[in-house]
Amino acid sequence: MGAHDLSLFSLVSLLIFLVPILYISRYLKLGINRTILIGMARMCLQLSFVGLYLEFLFKLDSPWLNGAYLLLMIAIACHSILKSSNLKVRIFFKPLFFALLIPFSVVLLFFNAVVVHIENLFEAKYLVPIGGMLLGNCLRSVIIGLTNFYSGLKKNEREYLYSLALFNSQTQALKPWFKESLAAAINPTLASMATIGLVSLPGMMTGQILGGSIPLVAIKYQIAIMGCIFYTEYFSVILSILFSLKTGFNAFGVLKPDLFQNVHN
Amino acid sequence: MISFESVCHDIGSTRIFSDRTLCVNKNEKILILGKSGLGKTSLFRLILGFEQPISGQIRVNGLQVNQTHIHQIRGQIFYLSQDIDLKNEVILRLLTEVWEFNFSRPLPLEMVDKLLTFLELSPAILQKRTTDLSGGERQRTGLLIGFLLDRPIWLLDEPTSALDDTMKKKIADHILSSDKTCIIISHDHRWQENPTVRIERWS
Repeated sequence: MGAHDLSLFSLVSLLIFLVPILYISRYLKLGINRTILIGMARMCLQLSFVGLYLEFLFKLDSPWLNGAYLLLMIAIACHSILKSSNLKVRIFFKPLFFALLIPFSVVLLFFNAVVVHIENLFEAKYLVPIGGMLLGNCLRSVIIGLTNFYSGLKKNEREYLYSLALFNSQTQALKPWFKESLAAAINPTLASMATIGLVSLPGMMTGQILGGSIPLVAIKYQIAIMGCIFYTEYFSVILSILFSLKTGFNAFGVLKPDLFQNVHN
Repeated sequence: MISFESVCHDIGSTRIFSDRTLCVNKNEKILILGKSGLGKTSLFRLILGFEQPISGQIRVNGLQVNQTHIHQIRGQIFYLSQDIDLKNEVILRLLTEVWEFNFSRPLPLEMVDKLLTFLELSPAILQKRTTDLSGGERQRTGLLIGFLLDRPIWLLDEPTSALDDTMKKKIADHILSSDKTCIIISHDHRWQENPTVRIERWS
């Protein structure tokens, strides 16, 4: 069993649909053709690269190499999060790295050990794709969380300082922004959990069914992975804010002045 | 109680204070007068540790304003900023949160009632949000929090600008006759008329 292999020609045939899209965008002068082409090209290149790399990784299946690959993925995720949140890498990279690493490794290893019961916890076949799914989903929520927290604080800095004076406690003064950011970060996942199966069939399930699993097995994996995604997200958002407090604020509890990559944002 | 010794302070590339010296004794009331842009608000922000000077020493109650003492120092200061930047919350909940966090016991409602009467605020205000208050209500709510906290040092930045004349006088007389150590920034003549106040003119 297993999905049909796709020939290169059939894959390329899908590009046919790009022709009207490019034509329409050009006709409407949307000015996005360049972005579309670059995006498509990057997707193809990056995925081909990962495909080759995964083949290699699966064949070798060395726990050390797999672990190192995950660390690299986390590092790239940190960069990408900070870029999207417009926060300085120099200040936030280290706290963010650990904020992602801790919940990610706990949930991932729990999933492998307790839920799936695989012998080698670092088996590439499970570790890499599941890790990728968890991290990919965390990315979005941590971006929302950090952006909300720091831009919200920056915008209402005087309000924050006033609370700091009244409560004489940084934690208490930060509470409203913390609550708001956490809610904003996890709401999209909660909403998609509420509609999953009704509106959309998730990618992982689709992949497993095409790969030859019976739907019931695919569903079980899907339930497990949705849970894992939510837990990882929740704790990553909380930790990324908490860990960032040490580097984002000075010893007086005041927001450092140069946190953002672009000043005008 | 509060002292500045040859403090230099910049905001961005602008020099706000060069060699500023100031001494406020315990229970003393000081009114600072001067045009805007002379760093009157920065004075408060320096005392509270929101900004740090380039050089010089600032002390509150003998303690230097630094990261070791800042918690202790802020705990003695009630600060009323010019715009009274209260967070968006229902007043009663805000009062409860401030009180319970600072004193770890339930908010004494009879005390709140007394203060409302003194400040001529209607009890209905407790159900309003801070964002729905008028300028005058905001100032009086800020002062109400100050009376509740009852901290020994008061830093007041234009505390009566949105109040009517009788209220101005009432508040000024009340605060100036209290045992607090106060630094007041205000353009209102009501504060200058009271003989207990020491006037410091900046130019």
